[in-house]
Amino acid sequence: MDTTSTAGPPLLEVRGLAKEYGAIRALRGVDVSFHRGEIHGLVGANGAGKSTLVRSLAGLEQPDEGHILVEGEPVHIRNPAAAAALGFAFIHQELNLVSNFTGAQNIVLGSDKGSALRFRSFAGVPEHVRAVAKRIGIDFSLEKPVGQLTVHQQWLVSIARALANDCRLIAMDEPTASLGEEEAARLMSVAKALAAEGVAILFISHRLDEVTSVCDRVTAFRDGQVVLQLSKEEVTRPAIVDAIVGHSVVPGERKDHSSNSKAAPVVLSLEDVSAGTAVRNATLELHKGELLGIAGLVGSGRTELARLIYGADRPDGGRMTYKGRPYAPKSVQDAIAHSVTYVPEERRAEALFLNLPIESNLHVSNWKSTSMAGTPFTSMRKSKSVATQMCQRLGVVLREGGTRQPVSALSGGNQQKVVIGRWMALNPDILILDEPTRGVDVGAKADIYDRIREIAASGTSVIVISSEFEELLECDRVVVLSGGKTVAELEGDSVTVADMLHRCYS
Amino acid sequence: MTTATPEKASTMTPRKSKSGLSAQHRAWTFAARYGTLAVLVLMIIGFGMASPDAFLSQRNLINILNQGALLAIIAGGVTFVLVVGQFDLSFANMISLSGILTVGLMQFSGLPSYAAIAITLAVSCIVGLFNGFLVMYLRMSSIVATLATSTILIGINFWYSNGVPVTVGGGSGFTDIARARLLGIPMPIIYMVVILAVLWVILNRTMLGHHVQAVGSNTLASQMAGVRVSRVTITAFVLASLCAGVAGIILSARIGSGQVTAGDGFLLSAFAAVFLGASVIRDGEFHIFGTFVGVLIVTVTTNGLSILGAPSFVQFLSQGGILIAAVALSTLSRRVLGTQRH
Repeated sequence: MDTTSTAGPPLLEVRGLAKEYGAIRALRGVDVSFHRGEIHGLVGANGAGKSTLVRSLAGLEQPDEGHILVEGEPVHIRNPAAAAALGFAFIHQELNLVSNFTGAQNIVLGSDKGSALRFRSFAGVPEHVRAVAKRIGIDFSLEKPVGQLTVHQQWLVSIARALANDCRLIAMDEPTASLGEEEAARLMSVAKALAAEGVAILFISHRLDEVTSVCDRVTAFRDGQVVLQLSKEEVTRPAIVDAIVGHSVVPGERKDHSSNSKAAPVVLSLEDVSAGTAVRNATLELHKGELLGIAGLVGSGRTELARLIYGADRPDGGRMTYKGRPYAPKSVQDAIAHSVTYVPEERRAEALFLNLPIESNLHVSNWKSTSMAGTPFTSMRKSKSVATQMCQRLGVVLREGGTRQPVSALSGGNQQKVVIGRWMALNPDILILDEPTRGVDVGAKADIYDRIREIAASGTSVIVISSEFEELLECDRVVVLSGGKTVAELEGDSVTVADMLHRCYS
Repeated sequence: MTTATPEKASTMTPRKSKSGLSAQHRAWTFAARYGTLAVLVLMIIGFGMASPDAFLSQRNLINILNQGALLAIIAGGVTFVLVVGQFDLSFANMISLSGILTVGLMQFSGLPSYAAIAITLAVSCIVGLFNGFLVMYLRMSSIVATLATSTILIGINFWYSNGVPVTVGGGSGFTDIARARLLGIPMPIIYMVVILAVLWVILNRTMLGHHVQAVGSNTLASQMAGVRVSRVTITAFVLASLCAGVAGIILSARIGSGQVTAGDGFLLSAFAAVFLGASVIRDGEFHIFGTFVGVLIVTVTTNGLSILGAPSFVQFLSQGGILIAAVALSTLSRRVLGTQRH
């Protein structure tokens, strides 16, 4: 293997790559090269730059500066088709498979050249697909719709598709995030076998155990820069964690919180709650008026856990207790009736009505509060005054049209405040915020946390889920979620970004 | 920060409208919001100039409203289904069923007219519930589901009526429902005004209406906000079916019989009216006032052309043409505005 990786120019080399998004410097002069026959691990916290690098290679972003060389030749990757033409395949967590096509149909999809009208058989498994399947040890039927396959099997189908296209480089983004240990190990051995055949593999993962065991080379990113490059012999867990975190793991300082929250009564407690493979034995306690953080990376089961508490999904094990009584919300409405509320992570898809006025977005769960006294009819004056007051309280900057303009006219931060305001009006007992500051500018972030603290101060128990660990320093207490399990509970001085990261990578 | 920014916003707006683009910009803004209304006004002026005596007479104007009344009631109900993000193809045959059933219950079963009407309205609601059930619980696409319902209704209509018109017997006051006047105004116009007002209030001033709009805007977000999506969607289907039932009763009273094909003509014209209405004032959103404007456009076209003695094929050609022209005008102007903004 060593001979293939050192002879001749690397398959893919990146020199001085830089990319800015407004004021954010996502990549600042990154140099890295990927060789045939090597599994190259990319690690780093959220926003460290590894996804921007991969997106640039995939033709989804155009870098501002720097060069990309393939076998020593400079290339310009204009779009995803150009990346595919170079023999690069990118497999993301949300696998791009057509769920009602069979495995074989998915593998052939896109690689089929020639006239669209030429007759083709759409049934069965073509010979070359069978060969590819054998290469990576596919032992399940490729004539079944992929929707019926497990996630692990779907990954194998995606890899097979890349191989059917004669790919020289396969980038896998969090391939094991939703897999069990055994399945993850099997996927890793497939990756190893492919590397041995001369394919270059990019492996992006938060699971450092896998990275250290399987990768031939590891590159760590922090703040848009490469901070560490290690070959297999040098790779150790502590070295990687230190590089990701920025300093060695020692108890750090943090703002002093009068954390007497534990003295308050417990409002909600979870005991060994589980659901499928996403949530496994989650245990936590939430006190009245507390600001509890849940630190978790992609695939840690954080959103799935929130959905269980909010009644959007049903747990299949464990016990939830709310205000001293067993709690098993039958539906979202049931949870809201229990005064449990949730701000989803996917704001545009799951929370906003973009074409509707700000008022409608604020009142959707509470139109009753705007009725004319004693009638079921909305008073538009009341609707407007309640909404305007709420906007002032939230610090939403209104333009002409006031609260009647569509919510889409607001910035991301103000949109998020509107979603939070929806629940603030109900003065709920529990408010869960999933990644409340995603896609929000710095000023609005501070604003949002001010509001969150106010809500907690008014007696609402707040859970903030975030992978921006700096933000969780605002919390009274932080529970670390990893692999669907609550792995640590940090309080007082032990809440540091380094510590949270360290526990996440355990 | 919060106090300074509204000032900034208010100072910015006049500057923007004084810029060089403003006249053109304002023209497009006008076209986007009022283009469809302008089409209606131009049509009235056009027909008025072509035949001032016949078209613009008070009698004919009332006649236009009377002709459009049933279409307005039907299209008002259909608007709810489209706002909630679904489709209904069954209302036309529901209209026919309603007429046949009301007259049939009186003629075949000897029921008094109020009982026949009550049963018919109940059946209309059941048909709407059935549509909603197919869509929300069997997860069928609403086009397929209501197409199936529609076909089933045709079967029931032929079965119950044997395929021949069921005529209202002499002496009963049933036909007065459509033929009587109040203060000189034909009753259908009064029904239309009342029903459109009720529908408008439901859609814009009740929790149900707000939820109908929310589900149509973003179903997933509605679910996550605690809106009972199934219940809201099914209610929209029931309202559409109920409106079709009401229209069917009035229609049978007007023509004096229940007929298997009575509602057929309303399918396309109701959709034309609702889609025309979506381009009125609001950005491609369905709403009751817009639907009413759409109904007027459709009815004025038919009425004006027949006064001018145009053959019936011309009516179809021009109705299709107007639908394309009005919707294209508003989409085009919005696209122009959209590109200017960026």
